[in-house]
Amino acid sequence: MRRHHLLLLVLVALPLLVLPPFLSLGLQNTLVSMLVAALFAVSFNLLMGQGGMLSFGHAAFFGIGAFATLHLMLAVEDGLGVPTPLLPLAGGLAGLGLGLVAGYFATMRAGVYFSLVTLALAELLHTLAPQWDGMFGGEAGMSSMRMPWGGLVFGSVLEVYYLSLAWVALCLLLLWAYTRTPFGRLTLALRDNEQRVRFMGYDTHKARLVVFAVSAMFSGVAGGLLAFSNEVANYTTFGMPVSAQVVLHTFIGGSTVFLGPVVGAAVLTLFAFFVSDLTRSWLLYQGVLFVLVMLYAPLGIGGIVELHLRHMRELRWRALAGPYLGAAVAGLLIAAGFVFVIESLAVLFSSDYAVLRRDAGGLPPFPFLGTEWQPLSPLTWLAPLLAMAAGGWLASRAGRRIAPLWDEARRVHTQGGETA
Amino acid sequence: MTTKLLNTTCLTLLAAGLLAGPAAAEPLRIAIIEPFSGSQASSGELYAIAGKYGIEEINEAGGFNGAPIEVLEYDNGGTTSGAADKFKQAVAEGAHVILQGSSSAIAGQLTEDVRKHNLRNPGNEILFVNVGGEALELTGDKCQFYHFRFTTTAPMRVGALVQAMKEAGDLGTRVYSINQNYSWGQDMEAAIRAAASQGGYAVVEATLHDVNKIQDFAPYVAKIKAAEPDTVLTGNWSNDLLLLMKATGDAGLDVRFGTAFLDQPGNIANAGETALGHYLASPYNIAAGEKAFPEAYKAKTGHYPMYMEPQAVNGVRTLGKALEKVDFGGGEIDVTEIALALEDATLETDLGPITIRKEDHQAVLPVVVSRVEKGAAYTVDGTDMGFVPIKVIPGPDALYPVQDSCSMKRPG
Repeated sequence: MRRHHLLLLVLVALPLLVLPPFLSLGLQNTLVSMLVAALFAVSFNLLMGQGGMLSFGHAAFFGIGAFATLHLMLAVEDGLGVPTPLLPLAGGLAGLGLGLVAGYFATMRAGVYFSLVTLALAELLHTLAPQWDGMFGGEAGMSSMRMPWGGLVFGSVLEVYYLSLAWVALCLLLLWAYTRTPFGRLTLALRDNEQRVRFMGYDTHKARLVVFAVSAMFSGVAGGLLAFSNEVANYTTFGMPVSAQVVLHTFIGGSTVFLGPVVGAAVLTLFAFFVSDLTRSWLLYQGVLFVLVMLYAPLGIGGIVELHLRHMRELRWRALAGPYLGAAVAGLLIAAGFVFVIESLAVLFSSDYAVLRRDAGGLPPFPFLGTEWQPLSPLTWLAPLLAMAAGGWLASRAGRRIAPLWDEARRVHTQGGETA
Repeated sequence: MTTKLLNTTCLTLLAAGLLAGPAAAEPLRIAIIEPFSGSQASSGELYAIAGKYGIEEINEAGGFNGAPIEVLEYDNGGTTSGAADKFKQAVAEGAHVILQGSSSAIAGQLTEDVRKHNLRNPGNEILFVNVGGEALELTGDKCQFYHFRFTTTAPMRVGALVQAMKEAGDLGTRVYSINQNYSWGQDMEAAIRAAASQGGYAVVEATLHDVNKIQDFAPYVAKIKAAEPDTVLTGNWSNDLLLLMKATGDAGLDVRFGTAFLDQPGNIANAGETALGHYLASPYNIAAGEKAFPEAYKAKTGHYPMYMEPQAVNGVRTLGKALEKVDFGGGEIDVTEIALALEDATLETDLGPITIRKEDHQAVLPVVVSRVEKGAAYTVDGTDMGFVPIKVIPGPDALYPVQDSCSMKRPG
């Protein structure tokens, strides 16, 4: 089991170390965003997945980390002798500070009330920041420059990438070590049954506060890395999209697995990079993806992978291969049909088509995928609908064949566990 | 066998090189970085349509440097970090010029990104053509050589409004200033106070309120009523303008509005008759110019140019004038030379010339003051109302002094 994990770690770490110099500048920068999002999501998940506290305002700590780092960067520009690679530390400290203060109040309550307090906190900063020029730089934000240090210029994206990689790896290691400590176990207990923890003699308010502050601190480091990379911090960092994004990353990646949020952050950041310039509907696809994961795989992508790893020996892979392939084809068919319909509608409602329509005085064929399509022809709409129907049929067939195989694997697994 | 293969490869490469020779002219790449998703998507879309229209005009006239200009479009999602990411991607894909308009916050991010990129990559500079960011600090604290602003600012809009409304006899002597509490609203309030002596009015009260959060403006209208102003001057946009005007109408308060963004699509339809008689100062009004431009625009895009579309087109056209003056003979593009030419460029528009002030790269452009009336030449939002031009204030008269905070480092 341990060897599996080590192998997996090497498989992930090696390309991250070796590949970037050969990638395009845009992709290098996306990898930086991915690292930042990954750290942010894991620290968010410490609170959400392990501590059972769903924060809707984690952008507050992310943002405060960004601004703190930027203030330190400005000071370094003016000659303060802080080594450039240590700049994100300021973000961590600011996150910790704000986390202690805000967390003291937020952790007095649990559940929905906790979420609302955190939401209010982020909104407070979001409203305050554009008006407080000295602290947050007004609407246009604050800006600084990374100073050279120790023979490194820190001008290129690649240097930023490797520094971010080092910071994120270190932070993830610390966060993982945290889960191994007795306090990390207590965090899980807080989530599962707070009352029992209190009866055991712990001050649960203090314990929850510590979890909150630690999560805020690492979120601050992530924000610091973002400021380090962008060299600008702006009030929009406190906005709802940032708070929502980290929730999406965590749930799609899977909150039950330590590295689940990393998977979610990686998948969605790369998705945004590749798809956002291809189509204007990419946020819709992202939303659909989220809904599908919540409906059919509430454990998230990471959870699914972990489930397979855990049942590695018990699963009959040869019998599963066929249905899995079928399910993959089904997924492709449904996705293709859905994307076709959405993109056709996007073309039909675009201003370019409005011009065509006016010139033709009717409903002219619309160009899509290199050919022309008749908007009123049943063929145009039947083809994708048929593809989706066929996909649905295939999916349900594959599902019926997969379910018993999994039931069997689970049975063997629990029996094996009992005998061992 | 191997040698033969090698020879063929060499020959093919050589041939390809020879063939590519004349066609290898470096195209100018313009990156449009706007929000195409999220709450700001509608204005991002308009800027992109206008920008592409202007670029297409240049391409139809023969392009630049022996090739058509290439347009790269990026969705910044309405956030500054999104814009920073897309800027890096644009650089990676060889962009020479960044074109952006919606949101001063994003303009602030991009102008800083451009400045740092140019510091670190001498010889590979990038030019930032700002067609919509009105925050004063873009030509103040943040002013830099490679940023050009092709729109108005608060003092330009207020100065024009005050002058035209006074001449029309609609200004009065008591002015109420109500604005959003962030840099733009604060700029507006300062401009309204500064123009008091020129307009011969007193600012009876000034209010700053939350940005796009207020649902009920009744308390503010009560304050306005109590101050008994003749005119309300406001830089409010979107819901803050709409709800303010509606609340005023509901309260039966007969007061004239002087605004900066009344022409935002949907405003007139939503406000209805309440909007009649109110004023707008904007960088362009198609009703004040010849018919040719709006008609050509409509033929291409399906609608008459509205809101900030004309100013974006004018920004690109001015860039086109600069491009006419530089010639790289199909070779490598030197952005600094383009920027220097842009400083000297003049665009003749129907409303007067547009030039660049060298000290801070603010465009010197005419400001149009219009009034909402029925039966205008171009009605908007499917209503029978539209913006009737009252006065065109020539660029130099509308201009404000260079800000002290601007210290621009010129190349070389």
